[in-house]
Amino acid sequence: MTQVVRFTARRLGRALLTVWFAVTVTFLLLRLLPGDPALAVASPNMTPAARLELLRQYGLDQPLLVQYGKYLWELVQGNLGISFARQVPVSEVLMERLPWTLLLTFTALLLTVAVGIPLGVLAATRPRGFLDRFTQVGGVIGQSLFVPSVGIFLLFFLGLKLHLLPIGGSYSPGVYGAAWYLDVAKHLVLPCVSLMLVQLGSYVLTLRSTLIDALGEDYCVLARAKGMPNRKVVWKHALRNALLPTTTLVGLQLGYLVGGAVLTETVFAYPGIGRGIYEAVTQLDFPVLQGAFVLLAVTVVLANMLTDLTYGVLDPRVRTA
Amino acid sequence: MTTTVAGLDSVTNDQVTAARATWSAFRRNPLGMISVGILVLLVVVAICAPLIATYPSGYGDQVLQAPSGAHWFGTDNLGRDIFAEVVWGARLSIVIAALSSALAIAIGVVVAVLGAYFPKVDTIVGTVVDLCLSLPVLPLMILVAALAGPSLVTLVLVIAFFSWPEVTRVVRSQALSVVRLPYMDAAKLTGGSSVWIIRKHLLPAVAPVIVVSVVLTASRAVLSAAGLAFLGLGDPTSWSWGRILYEAQQSGAMQSAWWTTLFPSLAMLFLVVSATLISIAYNDARNPRARED
Repeated sequence: MTQVVRFTARRLGRALLTVWFAVTVTFLLLRLLPGDPALAVASPNMTPAARLELLRQYGLDQPLLVQYGKYLWELVQGNLGISFARQVPVSEVLMERLPWTLLLTFTALLLTVAVGIPLGVLAATRPRGFLDRFTQVGGVIGQSLFVPSVGIFLLFFLGLKLHLLPIGGSYSPGVYGAAWYLDVAKHLVLPCVSLMLVQLGSYVLTLRSTLIDALGEDYCVLARAKGMPNRKVVWKHALRNALLPTTTLVGLQLGYLVGGAVLTETVFAYPGIGRGIYEAVTQLDFPVLQGAFVLLAVTVVLANMLTDLTYGVLDPRVRTA
Repeated sequence: MTTTVAGLDSVTNDQVTAARATWSAFRRNPLGMISVGILVLLVVVAICAPLIATYPSGYGDQVLQAPSGAHWFGTDNLGRDIFAEVVWGARLSIVIAALSSALAIAIGVVVAVLGAYFPKVDTIVGTVVDLCLSLPVLPLMILVAALAGPSLVTLVLVIAFFSWPEVTRVVRSQALSVVRLPYMDAAKLTGGSSVWIIRKHLLPAVAPVIVVSVVLTASRAVLSAAGLAFLGLGDPTSWSWGRILYEAQQSGAMQSAWWTTLFPSLAMLFLVVSATLISIAYNDARNPRARED
């Protein structure tokens, strides 16, 4: 029992440390780089008195350390501050965008795993076959693709030439009810497929190599010697072990995906968090930026926790350790 | 001649034969050799850019022309030759990749090796690297590039600063397994200084990992630089592959003229794929088990 408590405490401590680190790095970068947050709220043409009053209102006249302390204190209470550019709470600005990013990244991730695992299994069960060669070449090329290039070409051919799918945004205005869901799904296809194409390679290649190793292990040889059908050996015995590195990859990718979606969101004018970060940077909207990075850090932490849970399901050794 | 010197000689001879065996195995891999060829070609194009094409600037009257004999890759919305843009873009992309990966490797290797050699430093290094790897890298790069103002120096520093933790992670895990080997204890018993042991015994053992890491970091740097340029955060005074895409998107040229986006994308793909294949071929060539079949 104490072991479980200690384990949980350590994990929680680590999670808090990760969030704190991301918050602090963002805070320091924002304050120490040339862009002056005071410029974003106060115009240099104001009278000095009015400028000082405005800065005081946002707490920007205080020393750096005091601002940092205050920010952390507010953050612990769940207060992310007020947007410089729009004068509304940061949480409101972020909550408009978060659902879209989550929808995009989770759909892309689920589809990648759903396609990647069977492909990896097929490649590994017939090494050096046609499909294996194909996935290897495709995997290397996929990993090397530039996300906006993929997006631009999908958009060009499927959106502009064939008129099959909408070319941007997340939904069309004036559509309600069941048609709205269909419309959202249609808008989701192109950004989702571009993310998938870029990611699929690393999943297939990772799963292929770990599964080939697992199939060579003694327990698989034994299972086959017992007369177990090959399909069962692969899917029940080998795959369960081979999925561990793939699970790590999902955990690693999720954080990267949520932040890295900024390029895809730019190509398709998708109103997600990544695009929001870019817009906040150009407007020097520091509170929104900080809030967005807190959100990304929390996403990474949650992804890591989910990975740990999945590890526990897949590998009994992790549960007792 | 003392016996120690003779011993040292035989060690160096062994290393030469190992390098030769790797090279001869590498040469027999067609994909690896083609990739080296493509990479060399791109570097030559980058160096000789002024000889190949005139620097694309100003306006031309032939706007959005499809590829032809006069303009191999067509022209963009301002009538500039896209072939010239891609050629000059190779220059900036390769310079950024080379400089930022050199810097990232230097920082990453020093931190990794010091961490692996001094156990007290290692707990800090391990934690810092883990924390850095959990940072959202691309958004942070955007933030720094936008606030510090877009320029070549900013791009190189930003990419290097966010790339070294990955280098450290890879090199450190190899270095940690090397420092436990008996020959490292033997080196310590000879009374050599830590600097000498790290330089002569630890670094050569992790060198192959560093080689692979150089190639992968550089190709990732190309994509990062292109990503920033695509968002309009690249160096606005010189051509890069990302900037060609950025301008095609901003002007709307990409909606009608496929050639404005295809050729810079292909250039990038060729560079990154050949770098990846070289690292794979090098790993295979170094591994005697893979060499046999």
